[in-house]
Amino acid sequence: MANTLRLYLTCIRNTLEAAMCLQNFPCQEVERHNKPEVELKTSPELLLNPVLICRNEAEKCLIETSINSLRISLKVKQADELENILTKKFLRFLSMRAEAFQVLRRKPVQGYDISFLITNYHCEEMQKQKLIDFIVQFMEDIDKEISELKMSVNTRGRLVATEFLKQFV
Amino acid sequence: MASFERASPALKEILLRIYRNHSHNQCCSCHYSAEKPIEVDHHLYEFGSVEYHIKSSASAPQLTYLSISTPLLTQGVLLSYGLSPYTTQMVREISTDVLEIVEPATEGYQLTLRLDFSKIPRGKDSLKVITEVSSVQSIILSSQLKEMLQSVNSWDASQGMYKPIKLVYHPREPFYVIRQPHKIVAVFPMRFKDYSDVIIATSFFQWDFPYLLPKQELMDVGSSEKWAKAPPCNWSPIPPAELRGEPLEDLSTNGGFVSFDISSRHVEGKRLDKTVWSLLNFYAYVKHHVKCTRGFIQRRMRRRLESLVEVLQNSSLEDDRHIRKFQENAGWQYMKKLVKLSSKSKILKRSCRDFTRKIMRIRFRIKIHGFGRFRRRWLTMLKFSSSKGYTKLE
Repeated sequence: MANTLRLYLTCIRNTLEAAMCLQNFPCQEVERHNKPEVELKTSPELLLNPVLICRNEAEKCLIETSINSLRISLKVKQADELENILTKKFLRFLSMRAEAFQVLRRKPVQGYDISFLITNYHCEEMQKQKLIDFIVQFMEDIDKEISELKMSVNTRGRLVATEFLKQFV
Repeated sequence: MASFERASPALKEILLRIYRNHSHNQCCSCHYSAEKPIEVDHHLYEFGSVEYHIKSSASAPQLTYLSISTPLLTQGVLLSYGLSPYTTQMVREISTDVLEIVEPATEGYQLTLRLDFSKIPRGKDSLKVITEVSSVQSIILSSQLKEMLQSVNSWDASQGMYKPIKLVYHPREPFYVIRQPHKIVAVFPMRFKDYSDVIIATSFFQWDFPYLLPKQELMDVGSSEKWAKAPPCNWSPIPPAELRGEPLEDLSTNGGFVSFDISSRHVEGKRLDKTVWSLLNFYAYVKHHVKCTRGFIQRRMRRRLESLVEVLQNSSLEDDRHIRKFQENAGWQYMKKLVKLSSKSKILKRSCRDFTRKIMRIRFRIKIHGFGRFRRRWLTMLKFSSSKGYTKLE
């Protein structure tokens, strides 16, 4: 299991290293405007082919690149209903606080759980390698956090059930 | 139901305070340092539409009147009007010396009790008596349930099965009790408003209650004897067979059905009150757990957010710090050179200014408030030659 995760993350890392070559490019449609072209998708010549990396049916990563911006969308694994609601709650919580992360998108792309938008300005302010490390680390941390949350919720439930049934003993 | 404890904490505290005041006055009365007896008139409102009214007058400080209004346990469509003789008898048995039922009850309340604090025994027993008085609401509900279970014959010969008894405490939360020869089965249809509540509760029922059953292979052998005494519990997403024939609106749920098998062991002696109270409080207990779980998830997410953001901030600032440090170090040498090259005349001027200021401070040691303004306005010499080339008119 750990091997497939390593391979998956390595593939994403290599793809991001290749894709994160961004430069400033003013908008061709409206003068004096500078927009992330990956979001508008009005000029096909500015867009690169999107790359979809799938670990399995439930986990995948979509990387869409353009000349001045890059969008990474992640689908996190959800084994059961409890993990489903925990993932939804946690990622929605993070998305609502996107300004703290700078590169996080407030709304995930349709069909995915969370999305990042990296522009050329981010690449100028932050180091490219550090950004990629952050994205990969984020993916690992999310998985770990969801598993820990699920375990904590179950442990709490067990303690509560114990306390309730103690009254009968 | 205010809390999961049988005794209401707020009521207990008020009664204890009145009792301590009364007993303090009794002790101090011979030394003429007794405090004036206080008038008490408290209205307490607790969760579950429970209302208490505590009244004590200064003219008779040893007597306190306690009125209670609580929603009563109803059986299906049959509404409960007032308290049955069995219930009033159970209330009287709390403490026959201290407690007396006043009839008729105060308007708006179902029961009024007169408490005589002078008859409460001293020492630790006083706390015990007051705790039992504070649990009067739980005694009313428990006695109602006991009475219903004892009086109702639930055997339905036509269907060849025991008919379930529908009990309603909260209007939207009925539960069923099925009397069988060797056990009583309590079935709770679970309903939740929010989808995430349904999931949390379902995982709680599916995985956490059955974990404690002695039949589970995963359980420790050492604790199996202890948990063998706990009533077996089950969860099913569909209505159990015992509820066949009940109206559809009562059986449509989103949280499934939880059932407890209560045997004679759980209703012997003092355990009966505990068992009855636990069953009556089951809904509130589960909802409290779901709410606390949501709060726990929220707190954990907030803590994790801080650690995730820190990673990104460190990655962006790390090199900035190195660059700034280098710039500071480089700039310091440059500034040093600048300072050395500043004109000697400016240094002289600065030192003269400091010297005159020192002299002025010594001369004007005595400070008169407002004198400085007066001096500036009236005692300064007018400048006739202005650098601007004109005289400013005031």
